[in-house]
Amino acid sequence: MPINEMLAIGMFAAFILLIFTGFPIAWALGGVAIAFTGLAMLSDNYLDTFIAIDWSYTSLAIDRIWGTMSSWVLVAIPMFVFMGQMLDRSGMAEKLMLNVSRLFGRLNGGTAIAVVIIGLLLAASTGIVGASVALLTLLAVPVMLKREYQPELAVGTVCAVGTLGILMPPSIMLVMMADQLAMSVGDLFMGAVFPSALLGVVFVLYIVVRGWMRPDIAPAGDDAEPVSLGIILDALKSILPPAFLILAVLGSIFAGIATPTEASGVGAFGATLLALANKRLNLQVMREVCRETSLTTAFIFALLIGATAFSLVLRGLGGDEMIADALHGLPFGPHGVVICILLLTFLLGFVLDWIEITLIILPLVAPVIHALGFDIVWFTVLFAVCLQTSFLTPPVGFSLFYCKGVAPPSIGVKTLYKGVAPFILLQATVLAIIFLWPDLVTWLPAQAYSGQ
Amino acid sequence: ADKIRWKMQAAYGSNLPALGDTIPGVLDDLREATDNRIIIKHFEPNKLVPTLNITDAVRTGKLEAGYTWIGYDQGKIPSSTLFSAVPFGMEPWEYMAWWYDGDGQKLAEEIYEKNNVHPVLCGLTGPETGGWFNKEIKSLDDIDGLKIRYAGIGGRILQELGASVTVLPGGEIFQALEKGAIDASEFSLPTVDQKLGFYEVAKYNYFPGWHQPFAAFHLIVNKDKWDAISDADKTMINLACQASVTRNLASAEAYQGKAIEFMKSKGAETRELPEPVLRELQEVTKKVLKKEADQDEDFARVLKSQQAFQAQYQEWQDLGYLPRDF
Amino acid sequence: MNASFEATAPELEPAQQGLSREVLPHTPVSRIIDGLIQRIGEFSAWLWPLLMLVIIVNVVSRYVFSQGFIELEELQWHIYSAGFLIALSYALLRDSHVRVDLFRERFSFRTQAWVELGGMLLLLGPFIGLLLYYSIPYVIDSWDMNEASSAPGGLSHRWIIKSALPLGLGLLLLAALSRLTRLLAFLFASEVRHADQ
Ligand code: NA
Ligand code: NA
Repeated sequence: MPINEMLAIGMFAAFILLIFTGFPIAWALGGVAIAFTGLAMLSDNYLDTFIAIDWSYTSLAIDRIWGTMSSWVLVAIPMFVFMGQMLDRSGMAEKLMLNVSRLFGRLNGGTAIAVVIIGLLLAASTGIVGASVALLTLLAVPVMLKREYQPELAVGTVCAVGTLGILMPPSIMLVMMADQLAMSVGDLFMGAVFPSALLGVVFVLYIVVRGWMRPDIAPAGDDAEPVSLGIILDALKSILPPAFLILAVLGSIFAGIATPTEASGVGAFGATLLALANKRLNLQVMREVCRETSLTTAFIFALLIGATAFSLVLRGLGGDEMIADALHGLPFGPHGVVICILLLTFLLGFVLDWIEITLIILPLVAPVIHALGFDIVWFTVLFAVCLQTSFLTPPVGFSLFYCKGVAPPSIGVKTLYKGVAPFILLQATVLAIIFLWPDLVTWLPAQAYSGQ
Repeated sequence: ADKIRWKMQAAYGSNLPALGDTIPGVLDDLREATDNRIIIKHFEPNKLVPTLNITDAVRTGKLEAGYTWIGYDQGKIPSSTLFSAVPFGMEPWEYMAWWYDGDGQKLAEEIYEKNNVHPVLCGLTGPETGGWFNKEIKSLDDIDGLKIRYAGIGGRILQELGASVTVLPGGEIFQALEKGAIDASEFSLPTVDQKLGFYEVAKYNYFPGWHQPFAAFHLIVNKDKWDAISDADKTMINLACQASVTRNLASAEAYQGKAIEFMKSKGAETRELPEPVLRELQEVTKKVLKKEADQDEDFARVLKSQQAFQAQYQEWQDLGYLPRDF
Repeated sequence: MNASFEATAPELEPAQQGLSREVLPHTPVSRIIDGLIQRIGEFSAWLWPLLMLVIIVNVVSRYVFSQGFIELEELQWHIYSAGFLIALSYALLRDSHVRVDLFRERFSFRTQAWVELGGMLLLLGPFIGLLLYYSIPYVIDSWDMNEASSAPGGLSHRWIIKSALPLGLGLLLLAALSRLTRLLAFLFASEVRHADQ
């Protein structure tokens, strides 16, 4: 194996090892890039190789960061984060939880179903996974435990449903992917609508079936009041604000009134108005929202900066050609290649999270997919669904962390792992369905271009 | 002789006909003709640096070379736009004549070498289309208030006429056009527009390409690297690029008619800008170019050279060639 | 289900685990630097509502008054990039950069401090140092060449926004330096065990 390829593999290995030290991932990426630039220079000097990268080559990272700074599309990320933070504090989710769960109180698994519906609404109006999982855990898990739900089912549901926000548009993950692959954000958003809705449906079906087979693990609340017109009206009333936001953000993107960036600003504004209407907005809240937006945006973009340097050096070492050759050389045919990539992504998802995989792996594999003639929107949505599982797969699963962080102390790691396992299987099932029926992804974006 | 091993990033994907598929051929020629002595490694757009930063990266020596439309340097080197595309400017062979036999090459080298970059003309095509519109342009009034995506100096001209100009990124153009967030957008040659599917999202394909009757592309090399290679190697690269200019012009001219036919068959309606609109555009162009020339000395110099060349060429063009409608 | 959760906004932050800024002792240097970064960070966070307003103004002017402003479109990414670059240092101060806590939680605080010290010196330091070193000529060039946007009607004086890059990186390096002194104080001045606040 040529030395440059050994170095490329070494980069990956060094990175994976380093993240387990607990040092921030962004700087581990950047530090590895610097170290391997040095190694490549040494190799050129003493081993007579011709890798031809040096400090000045690696400093192209500056130009790439400038590319990120001047990106029109990525402006949407802090705005969607702001929107999510503001919604968290607007009181919308609590009202939803209160009113929607009353609607399902008399059903086996009713509270869990309410969680899925609320999760879907939250996901479509914003989608900061950490916030959604934490919120659902805080609001719903104690209730479900009180109703003597099986703890595994309770935490599995909130973790899986809270994760939906990253796939369901508006989604900062899809914005990032569109930026990486120079695709239309709108196309990706549209492509992800049915798959994420399908995930919600599958979750509900699963809960209904389990609740029906084993009523003891998801009992109906005996304290639940019968569904009256008042309850229905309350539920509808509490659905109105998120529905309005969804219309404002996704509606304006799909109708072409606004670009995704503009929609993100409109959404942030809408969430602020909602907080104001609920009398939750004051200087203190605004300050907190701003601060949290800064902190979240900073860690996302720190990863972007680290990953851009990492990718640059990896490319200089010939790493992307190596991976492209390896993928093209697989003896399984085009669909086999896609399956291999998804499997690899799933496995990487155990130790990495979506940002690193999106920034490093996606640009490596996308040209191969392109060359094989697949629809790139379809593939990217598949990739995104696959990445969703990374939130749930231990040891590094951020939904698990967030849930564990706020769940009652009785919820142990084992309960969490057991709880999310069936949902990971459900996600894999949906992945397979999308793989077999690409129309689920491609139909909606195609509608955009059909009428003249 | 010494080996040459350079990294070069292109501004256009090698899948784009006549736009991005020229430079890989040049690099292959160089490698074969020198028996692997000159190897310039080709990187697709954005692989190493964002497209708009190619010249920067070459200037600072982070990359040895780039292949780009140097008009992207407009924000830093205002005269660059005159070397790459000029509204109501020269026709491609006229530009070629100005470059090789007039002052073009000399001026470009002078201006770019101040910035530590050596430019070699390495690709040349005829006009782009005048753009894709969802609104008809029958008079100047139709431009007033038009929401249009138009890059560079052409956009500035439309702005003078009241258009609301934006510079959306490539990936966003389609949706914006289809959904009416913008009314119109320019992009590239018919063959490229066909490949990218513009006819699916816009109704009218407007002509002529008044904003760029020619489009020139340059291989830019870091000056220090260029100075370091032998005269023989410089000649080798010059020859390969001259051959590329010829081949590029040939391939760009060869298939546009077919592409337009194809897009028409898909429902795209071709339209021509009315003459009064073109006349007014030309007037505004003069004003805008003059304004630019007042602000930048190099711009003034190059513009003067081009206008002098065009004036003497006009004689020959009017007399020697058949009128356009023959 | 009752209405009690309506009373207060839920606490969303997972419990801080591992060696955090609460555990590390302050030093004279860190007190000054952290105060500075804290203030700059909190102040710059107001860029987000500003960005939101610029977008709203742009949207309204385009769709209601049919008038687009490239200046405002460009101003959006100017604000956003200044916002995220300046926030990098603030996030370091606040322990917000993502890490994998899996094994870290099981390390003793001393081990964690050593790991972090090593990471700062071998990973973050060289990386940000190199970026900072090359970002300064990047800005100077832009200044020298009087770089402006090439979009029609775009913003001029591009060096200003490009300066956000060395500014953000410089603050980040400062924040790392402050953290470094705190780590050293923790490791080598063992009588000071806790942060004084
Ligand atoms: Na979402
Ligand atoms: Na995981």
